[in-house]
Amino acid sequence: MTNKDVLKIGDKTLTSRLFLGTGRYPNPFVQQAAIDASAADVLTFAIRRVNLEAPDEDAILQHVKQKSFQYLPNTSGANSAEEAIRIARLSKASGLSDWIKIEVSVNERTLLPDPIETLKATETLANEGFTVLPYTSDDPILCKRLEEAGAHAVMPGAAPIGTGLGVLNPYNLSLIVEEATVPIIVDAGLGSAKDVTEVMELGVDGVLMNTPIAKAKDPELMALAMKQALEAGRNSFLAGRIPKKRYATASSGYDSLVSKPNNS
Amino acid sequence: MTKQIVIIGGGIVGLSTALECRVRGFEVTVLEKSAFGGAATGAAAGMLAPFSEIEEDPDDFFVLAMESLRFYPSWVETVRAHTKLEFEYSNSGSLHIVYHEADRLSLESRKRWQGDFNVDARIVEGEELAKLEPALSKNVQAAMYYPEESHVYTPDYVAALEDACKNTGVVLKDKLGSVTVNEWQNTVRLLTESGEQVEADQLVICSGAWAKEMEEVFGLRLPVFPVRGQICAYETPTHPVSHIVFSPQGYFVPKDNGTLVNGASEDLAGFNTDVTQEGIDRLTNWNPNVFPFLEAETPFHEWAGLRPATQDGFPFLGSLRDYPHILFATGHYRNGILLSPITAQIIADRIEQKEDRLALDAFQPERFTR
Repeated sequence: MTNKDVLKIGDKTLTSRLFLGTGRYPNPFVQQAAIDASAADVLTFAIRRVNLEAPDEDAILQHVKQKSFQYLPNTSGANSAEEAIRIARLSKASGLSDWIKIEVSVNERTLLPDPIETLKATETLANEGFTVLPYTSDDPILCKRLEEAGAHAVMPGAAPIGTGLGVLNPYNLSLIVEEATVPIIVDAGLGSAKDVTEVMELGVDGVLMNTPIAKAKDPELMALAMKQALEAGRNSFLAGRIPKKRYATASSGYDSLVSKPNNS
Repeated sequence: MTKQIVIIGGGIVGLSTALECRVRGFEVTVLEKSAFGGAATGAAAGMLAPFSEIEEDPDDFFVLAMESLRFYPSWVETVRAHTKLEFEYSNSGSLHIVYHEADRLSLESRKRWQGDFNVDARIVEGEELAKLEPALSKNVQAAMYYPEESHVYTPDYVAALEDACKNTGVVLKDKLGSVTVNEWQNTVRLLTESGEQVEADQLVICSGAWAKEMEEVFGLRLPVFPVRGQICAYETPTHPVSHIVFSPQGYFVPKDNGTLVNGASEDLAGFNTDVTQEGIDRLTNWNPNVFPFLEAETPFHEWAGLRPATQDGFPFLGSLRDYPHILFATGHYRNGILLSPITAQIIADRIEQKEDRLALDAFQPERFTR
């Protein structure tokens, strides 16, 4: 291929469209194997859990030092724009990364993003020079507003975090893709490889996931499956699928379907 | 004739299983290739803290860990009934501390789901927290307080358990170098490196990270790996800490004898049990963020052990489907001390062909074998 299909967010070019969470793995052995198998470039983690004074000595980040990942620290747990902004600034000041995944939730049962606080935090942090990736509801208008507020990529959820329900509203997601001029990364709610292929075929630019890999019986194998599913979905989207038809069309020409006597 | 049980592995799980089986009337032999309580057991801080350790998943593993914690008092009585050696078992309670307002949401959601299991979980902050643990840094925003969580002093506990086994008539053989399984489908026949034959009716594999060596013998896939855990301890004769304290970077366990055990740095180093400067430094550099008084202190002791970690984080616990006389109790990762009493009950129940007291499907030893 001459035109390489790459994903660019802010001023960074990424080789993988799979973004990985670092939480919930059963142990560092399995975590490393899964991260390797996924070939992910971008890793996300909760700022509140990290040792910001010495990220290299952090309980989780110490295990991923062998490759230079693009870190995407997140503000998970924040219940207001103010708190999200506060911990985002702590993260940037630590030198860890100037990327930030804004995550603001108020409902501990659904962990669904608070759209209004997310928009506020996006505006502020984009103005402060962060590379901003808000996690948001799958509302097309809201996603557009986040883009206008300065988001470098927008990350609509497919379903609530950790539910593995798959994409609940493919129609909305396809509208979001249609309208967007920044990358759309589906974040949260996917369960299996099939879900990843499905959203990639809708034309999204990437997928962020954690639980479906970390909590699989074999996280390493599942990481590989997700990577392959993502590539399959992306290629299928780029290749352009056939239109759906109600009735059968012969896949080979009429002549070849006619059985002929041997001696003809 | 009384059933003969042979157990491979003399860590906390093997010794507990041996004692329980012996108390139930079986003839028991434990085969240990190096020293009793040597690997993961020797490195353990002795925390009995399932609620602090399992933050998100109300699954069968959580139930197993919780049941084991709640079984501990009666298990400690069993051990004490058979030994004069003393060991510390402290119902200190624990504090899981957090540093950001943003941590509150996860504390709330943990409190909610654990509450469904009747776990006493309280979010404490401000003066209440300062009263519970006065030496904590003022930067700590809040904590989850679990009054039920406890700890044991592992070196004394293992010694007591070994002694209890001896006193009840368990045959203990250590420093064997290696143990080979020569026959297992009908009668179990084992051979030690020195050429000694051991026969038994039932075999229990409790060899931690070394259980992987059994893959070929039994034709199983047993994805269990050693994760090194490095720990250090401070001398704190004035007992400035009274609860188990979990921070995002490490934990603290205050022992009766005035030591404050601090762990753990985990890394992957195969079967190497050396302590590294890097591993200990990341603990000691962080510690003043939890207890400012530790700024002026240096650990007096540092050590490491190998935790048997499995691919899905669950232990191998139960018998083989077609060979019920072959049992596995291994892969307890960093929860071996906590899980040992319930493990011993589960294995002894299986040997007696009693009904399982808990759902064991998730821990089936054959679950990775295709």
